[in-house]
Parts: sequence; structure tokens; C-alpha cells
Amino acid sequence: MSKKIALFLIVVLVASLVPALGAASAQDKVKITWWHIDTSDAQSATWQAIADAYMAQNPNVEIEITILENEAFKARLVTVMQAGDPPDIFRSWGGGVLWQYAEAGLVRNIAPELEGEWKDSFSAKAALELYGQDGEYYGVPYTWGAVGIFYNKVLFEQAGLDPEVPPATWTEFIAAVEALKASGVAPIAVGAADRWPAHFWWVYTAIREGGQDAFLKAYNREGAFTDDPFVKAGADIKQLVDLEPFSEGYLGMNYGDSQVQMLDQAAAMELMGQWAVGAYQGSDAAKAEVLVPQLGWFPFPVIEGGAGNANDVLGGGDGFSVGANAPDEAVDFLKFLTNVENQTALVTSPLNIIPTVGAAEVAITDPIALQIIQARNEAPYFQLYYDQFLPPAVATAVLDGVEGLFAGTLSPEDAAATIEDVAAMELAE
Amino acid sequence: MNNIMQLRTFKNIHRLPGNLGRYLILITLSLIIMAPVFTAVSGSLRTNGDFLSKPFALPHENIQWQHYTGILEDNSFWQSAVNSLLITAGVTVLNISLASLLAFAFSRIKFFGREIVFNILSIGLLFPVVVALLPVFIQVRDMGLINNLWGVIFPLVAFGLPGSVIILRTFFRAVPIELEDAAYIDGCTRIGFFRFILLPLARPAIASVATLQIIAGWNEYFLPLLVLTDPKKWPLPLGVMQYQGQFGTDWARVMAYVTILIIPAVFFYLMTEKYIVTGLTGGELKG
Amino acid sequence: MAATRSGILSGAGEKIVSERFRREIGKTFTVLLCIVPGMVVFFLFLLIPIFQSARYSLYDWNGFGPLQNYVGLDNYRLLFENKVFQSSVQHSFQIMVMSLGIQLPLAMAMALMVGRGKLFGRRLFRTILFIPFVFSEVITAIIWRYVLHPSSDGLVNVILSNIPGYDTVGWLADKDVVLYSIFAVITWKYFGFHMILYMAGLQAVSKDHEDAARIDGADEKRVLRYITLPLMGSTIRLTVFLSILGSFQQLVIIWVLTQGGPVNSSQVITTFLYKYGIKNFKLGYGSATAMILFAITLIFSIGYQRIIMKQDYGDMA
Repeated sequence: MSKKIALFLIVVLVASLVPALGAASAQDKVKITWWHIDTSDAQSATWQAIADAYMAQNPNVEIEITILENEAFKARLVTVMQAGDPPDIFRSWGGGVLWQYAEAGLVRNIAPELEGEWKDSFSAKAALELYGQDGEYYGVPYTWGAVGIFYNKVLFEQAGLDPEVPPATWTEFIAAVEALKASGVAPIAVGAADRWPAHFWWVYTAIREGGQDAFLKAYNREGAFTDDPFVKAGADIKQLVDLEPFSEGYLGMNYGDSQVQMLDQAAAMELMGQWAVGAYQGSDAAKAEVLVPQLGWFPFPVIEGGAGNANDVLGGGDGFSVGANAPDEAVDFLKFLTNVENQTALVTSPLNIIPTVGAAEVAITDPIALQIIQARNEAPYFQLYYDQFLPPAVATAVLDGVEGLFAGTLSPEDAAATIEDVAAMELAE
Repeated sequence: MNNIMQLRTFKNIHRLPGNLGRYLILITLSLIIMAPVFTAVSGSLRTNGDFLSKPFALPHENIQWQHYTGILEDNSFWQSAVNSLLITAGVTVLNISLASLLAFAFSRIKFFGREIVFNILSIGLLFPVVVALLPVFIQVRDMGLINNLWGVIFPLVAFGLPGSVIILRTFFRAVPIELEDAAYIDGCTRIGFFRFILLPLARPAIASVATLQIIAGWNEYFLPLLVLTDPKKWPLPLGVMQYQGQFGTDWARVMAYVTILIIPAVFFYLMTEKYIVTGLTGGELKG
Repeated sequence: MAATRSGILSGAGEKIVSERFRREIGKTFTVLLCIVPGMVVFFLFLLIPIFQSARYSLYDWNGFGPLQNYVGLDNYRLLFENKVFQSSVQHSFQIMVMSLGIQLPLAMAMALMVGRGKLFGRRLFRTILFIPFVFSEVITAIIWRYVLHPSSDGLVNVILSNIPGYDTVGWLADKDVVLYSIFAVITWKYFGFHMILYMAGLQAVSKDHEDAARIDGADEKRVLRYITLPLMGSTIRLTVFLSILGSFQQLVIIWVLTQGGPVNSSQVITTFLYKYGIKNFKLGYGSATAMILFAITLIFSIGYQRIIMKQDYGDMA
């Protein structure tokens, strides 16, 4: 490159990199940094509007929003946490990861502010508990739901199944899978390459086989993940996988691919969380217009002889946690964000939430969302996704084990052992 | 490999069939190489749903130009473009300057401890940035460079330096020692030899290193993500995030963004390429 | 007379000494000028962080709060016992061998075809061949995920389905195929890099030498074998070296394509590090993985430099 160009570049570079001096003084304002992951224009505008409303009411507060894509968010959050500089408010799914932050003193206990009216306003009690432990709370959920089976009624009908009476037991479910397969569609869409969609299947069978008891025992190290219910859960998955209910190449398909299979009417069922319908619409609005009216929802079938209650639920949702050095105003803003007016407004907003605050539930009209909120509120045992609840290393082991079951490379016993090996090390303390 | 070599025949009589074979190979390879590029471009001109269910169809009815206009009309895109240019220029200029000086010392000056220093530098080649993201971040923070473009540039230069030095050193060594002796006899200083003889002679190598650094700087994702807290300072690769959601991605827009991103990169390459290939022709480097 | 003579001599001697001294000073100054700026940046932003990593590898530490739980070499022991890690190392080696055996010869062949000579349209071909290299790794992987999509809509499957009897292959879903698919993507992205270096190296090959050989009656195969390639020796050795290191450091492409799956069948050392170290909040364990990666590449590079690249050092020794 010629000397002149190089020189020019250097000059431009130096000139532009000199930090701007005398930035506008805003030292009187309380600054709150807020990280969320809702990247689409419509969704981020919804959050911005709530922040603006709060700032209008509290002119001394300035809320600085950073929007990061999910994976980018996780990478950056972990790094700043490890460096000891948490943001004031950040997206959190509760469970094991949040507890690790708490143990390192990186999040703020908001129990003093939460106790009383604010806490009582939540209907998703089990969800709130996942944002704290031992009487401390580090954040609150703003949307919470249940994982269940979304199914295409038209495809059910074509397979000779009654679309209004979905399978309630494992036997009926297996029969439905066989009927659907015979009708020429893939009975089940699963993004096994992303691993977490596959893990829903195994966790639900474990919940049905062993109930809360089996999991708590394994978690508290009075039992193990090699206990009977977990091996049986693996055997159930094996039974399912052996029927070849998935489309070809499912091990290489991710969640985006499984959405497409549902949208293309190529698959009949998907075990998924409350966001599924929104995800179909986001992926292909035109095809979703056809698919969504055909959809129904049913809870995971009961497994005969299992110890679990038919109403036990696997689920999770989204919330915001508070960083250790956050000002009081950050907690106050969170209270504002989860008040009845905002929760109600968010239901019909592009964020499409399932509210966690009881008084906002009346805003829900969608039949599937109503089913989900009922399942969530009435669950005698609500289990957060294992991959969120367990410490990350154990979560990875669960995903590894389940992946082996889906690929047919691990027997139910080996899959259970894969998980237990890591759990024995990580959960011992 | 053997086939390809047999085709290398300059003898006039063989030129035509030889070239035919070469064209056959080159065209086949070009098609294979361009298929994914074509995927990106055609995807960017269709709707997201259309792309997802048939990734490789041609854009037929209503071509979706709005993905491009949407991106190009966005002010933050141009802000990011400026940031990207600054990071790219900073990384390239700094890397080339520091690396050529180092490579010069390592290849043409004998001094005490040369091999040790060089070996220490080579160690850097054995670590990708990702293995040390946290300590790099902490170092950048402790030096007060968070939210500063230099906080991205310096680590990138540091991790690119060993590779550049090793490449440049190899080429600097190829310059015959007689040339250097002659220069000194003519009263040239070391720096003078470096500046007026070695650098011009090594232009192809410097241009190749520059190409690599430009592309590394232009595409860097992780460091800006961690270091730059203010979205106004983000470079282009981070901009693609706004089309990725937790449970779905607007691939058509991503593809449009990607297409826009590679156009300048190809242009940069074309700018440096002529120095790589036509910098020198034979003679000057005879041993 | 004698006095005068010795006076002259001693004067000359002093002059020589001081001249030498001045030259030494000048040389030292030049060396410092060349070395210090680069090494400072290198030291601050690479060496210090790497030393930190080495230290972390001796702790069972999740990265949060102060460095604690010193475990000595426990992380290393766990790694060596881990079957997934063992297969990751093996996969890394497989990618390295394929890179050397396929990617480099391809890059050389292309450089010879379009890097010089008078082939019409060579600039266009050169640009096309180089285009993949300007793609970022994330983008490369995202696009190729669709090209290699396991469904019958994936581009490769669409094209190959024209062959009678072809059965859809799960390029990224089949445990036995996935590593080769990944290698194809890596080759697509990186052979342009080696091609560029070869093209730069070709400029240093004197045409006169080749022509002389031709006049002596050598055919093109021999010219290539005995003149051109040996003259490019240092460039070739350099690319082999960089290719070895590059193969071991591949991370982003593999991670985005498969995350090391299915069932770890495309797990390599770096993705293992990312998955079981960084993502699992096992910073000590991950750092130990980085150190093993370092040790493997160090052994390779020292061995390679000592044995093969030695000739490139020879002239200066």
C-alpha cells in the first residue's frame, strides 16, 4: 500500500480514537444498565417503552439498554460476571446458573424489597422460587409457562385419530405415533442437534416415571441418576426412538428446522415451551397463518406405573435478575416492570408473555395459552428444565446422555451413568 | 495432483488442450466454491419462510429488495461501518508495522538473545484467542480500554503478530545476503536497507499479510462483543445480532447483511492482490 | 619514529574500537527499535493472559470470585481419563492430516494455475477462489449448514439426488460422515489463505531458472518437481507449519456447524474446551485443555522447526 494511504489511515485512526473529552455531565442521574435479548424491532421497542415510561416518572433515573442476541448475551454475561462487573439488570432464566452467580456474590438479594405486596402479586410461585434460594431472591420472572405437546389437528385427523381427544397415556401416545407414521408424516419434530429440545422428552419421561421424589433424591445425593426411574425414562425414549418417529437426519436438525417441519405440515407433534406459536409466526408468517389455527396442545402423557402425578409439569420462562452493585432504583424499576398494568400490557405486546402476576392473567384469551397457564398454576410439582436447573456441567452431561439415547449410541443404563458420573462430582458439595 | 501437473504445459503446441483442461478444473472448482455464495445472495432476495423451506431456489416472484434497503437506510449500519473500518485499519497498520520491524530484526540482524525472543513470540502462535478470553478481557479492563476501539485493536494485533512475523521472516530471509552487503557498501544504514530495499522487495509478502489482517479485523466478533459496551461503537459483525432471536432467526435478512459485508472485503482483497501477484517478476530476486 | 608509529597505531586502534563501539550502539538501538514496540503489545495482550490461563489450569475454579480450590494437576488427570477428550484429540489429528494431504496440494495447484502465467481470465478465477476466505467463520458455518442440510432440501443432497440410486446423506447428522463434511467446509474457507502465500512465494521463483531447465530439455513435470517446488521450499514449509497449527485451532466453524455432535463425533480439542470448559463454567478444566492443546502444538512446532524448517535458518547461522 502506498505511503500516503498508510499515513492517511494512521491520521484518521488516531484522530478518531482519541476519546471524546468532556462528555456531557450526567452525574446527578442514577444510571441503570439493563441487558435483554429480545432483538426484534417490535420486541425491543416494547421494552424501550417501559423504560421510557419509568424514566418519565422518575426523571433522576437513566436506563441504558443493551440488546444482545441469546448466545452473544450468554458469552458476554459470563465474561463480565467472571471479571466481577455484573450489569444492573439482566435477563435470567433462574436455576443453577443464577445460583452460581449468587454464591460468588455477583447478584443482589432483593428479598427486603420483594417481601409483602410485590411477592404476593405473583401467581407463578414456583417460578419465583427459582430466582432465589434459602430465603434470598435475586430477581423475578415476568413470563412463565409449561412445556407440552403442540399438535396438528388436521394431521391427526388424516391419521384416523380423534383430534379433540389427544393421547393421555404413554400407550395411547405410542399408538398415535404409529398411526401418524402410517399416514405418511413424521409423527414428531425435534431439533436434536440443539440438544435441549430432545432433553425435554427425557426429562418429562423421568418426571412421569419418578415424580418429584426421584429427582430430589438424585439432586440431594440421597439417590442417583442411575436410579430406576431415570433408567426407565431412558428405556421409554429408546422405545420411542426405535419407532423412528422423527424425520430423516433428525440428529442434524436444530430447533429452527423442526419449526419448518411443523410449518410445512410435514410433522404432527412438537414437545415445546410456551413460545412455540410465536416462533412459528416469526419463522414464516404466511405458513403460520395456516398452521396456528390447526394447532392443539396437550400435557405430556402419563406413563402407566410411574410414580409421577399426572399434573406434574416441566417448564420455565424468562425473568430479570439484579446485579450485585445495582442501585435501589434498579429494584424499583423491576417492581414497575412486573406491576399489573405492565404485565397486562405485555400479554398483548409483541413479547406475548404468559404473565407471572395473578391479576394480569385475565388478559389471556388464547386457548392454548390458557391451557398452559392452568398447567403451570396447578402443578403439584413444577420442574424447571434440567439444563437450567442443574449446574452447567451436570446440565451438559444430561444433554450428552440424552443425545446418546436419541442417536442410539447409549443404552438407557449408559445414558444414566453418563449423567451420574458428572453429577456425583458436581453435586457432592 | 499429478493430473493437474501434467496439464501444466507451456509448450506452444500443447497450450490449447492444456488450457482447456485447466479451464475445466477451474470452472468446476469455481462452481463448487460459488454455490454457498449463491445461496447467501439468493436467500437475501427472498422471504425468510421461502428461504427456510427451499434454501436453494432462485428468487422468482417479488424479489425482496427491502432486506437490502432496510439495512442500508439504517443509520446504525453506517456508524458500524465506520467502526469496522477503524478497527480494520488499526489492526492492519499496527500489525504490519510492528511485525515487519520484528521480522527484520529476527531475519537480518544478529543479536544476543535473538532466538529466545523469537521463540517466545512463536509461542503466541500456539494459542487461539478463545482459550484466553477472560484473561484478555481482564487485561483490557485493567488498562482502561473497555468501550474503546483500542481495546479491540491491541489484543487482535497481539494475537496476529506471531503469524505475521513468521510469514514475513520467511520472506525476508529469501532476500539474498549479497544484496544486503551491497547496500551497506553503498553506505546504506540498517534502517535504510530495511526501508528502501527489504520492504519493497517483500511487497508480495506484506500484501498477503495485510490481506489476512484486514480480513481478521473486518470479521472479528468476540473481542468487540466483550470489550465494546456502547452499541454505537460496535463494528458490523455484531450488527447481524439484531436479526437473531432466542428461538428464531430472520435468515433472509442475515443473508442480505452477509452479502453486504463481503463486498468491501472482496474489494480490499482486490486492492492488495495486485501487490501480491505483480509486485515483482523474477529477475530482481536472483540469488 | 617508533614513538610516532606506535602513536599512529594506537590512534588507529582507538578509532577502530570507538567505531566498533558506535556501530554496536547503533545496532543495539536498531534492534531495540525493531523489537520493543511489538514485544510490548505482545507481552501485555497475549503473554500475560496466557500465563493467567496456565495458572487457572491448576484450580477447580468456575471463574466467579477469587481464584480458589487449588487442585494441582487434577484437571489434567481428569482430561486424560476422559474418553470424549481422547476422541477429540484424535479428531483434531484427523483434520490436520487431511489438511496437509488435501488442502495444501489443492492450494498449490491453484496457485500454479492462476498465480502467474498468461491464462486468460486468471484474475477472475483468482478472485473467485479467494472469495471464501473473506467470509467470517460464523457466516461460513451458517451458510454451509444449509448446503449440507441433512434433509433432502440441502444443496448437496439436491445435486447428488440426480445420481440414480443416491440415498440422502445426513452430512452433518451421520456420525461417520460429519468429520469429513466439516473438513470440506474448512478447506472451502481456508485453501485461499494458503493459495495467497503460495502466490506470494511464486513471485520469488526466478523464471530464468525454470527457462534454463526447459532449454536443457526438461518437461514441465520435471521443471515443477526439480526447480519450482524446491525454490518454493521455504514457503511450503511455512504453510505446512501454519496448517498444522490452524487445524488444531479450528473452533468457530465446527461449533456453529455441529457443536461437536452428533454424540461428540466431531468434537475436537478446541470445541471440547469451549463446551466442557467455558460453557460449563469450568475455567480451570478449560485452561488445562488449552495447555494440552498448547503442549501438542508446541511439540509439533518445535519438532517441525528443528527437523524440517532447519534449512530455513541455515543461511543466517
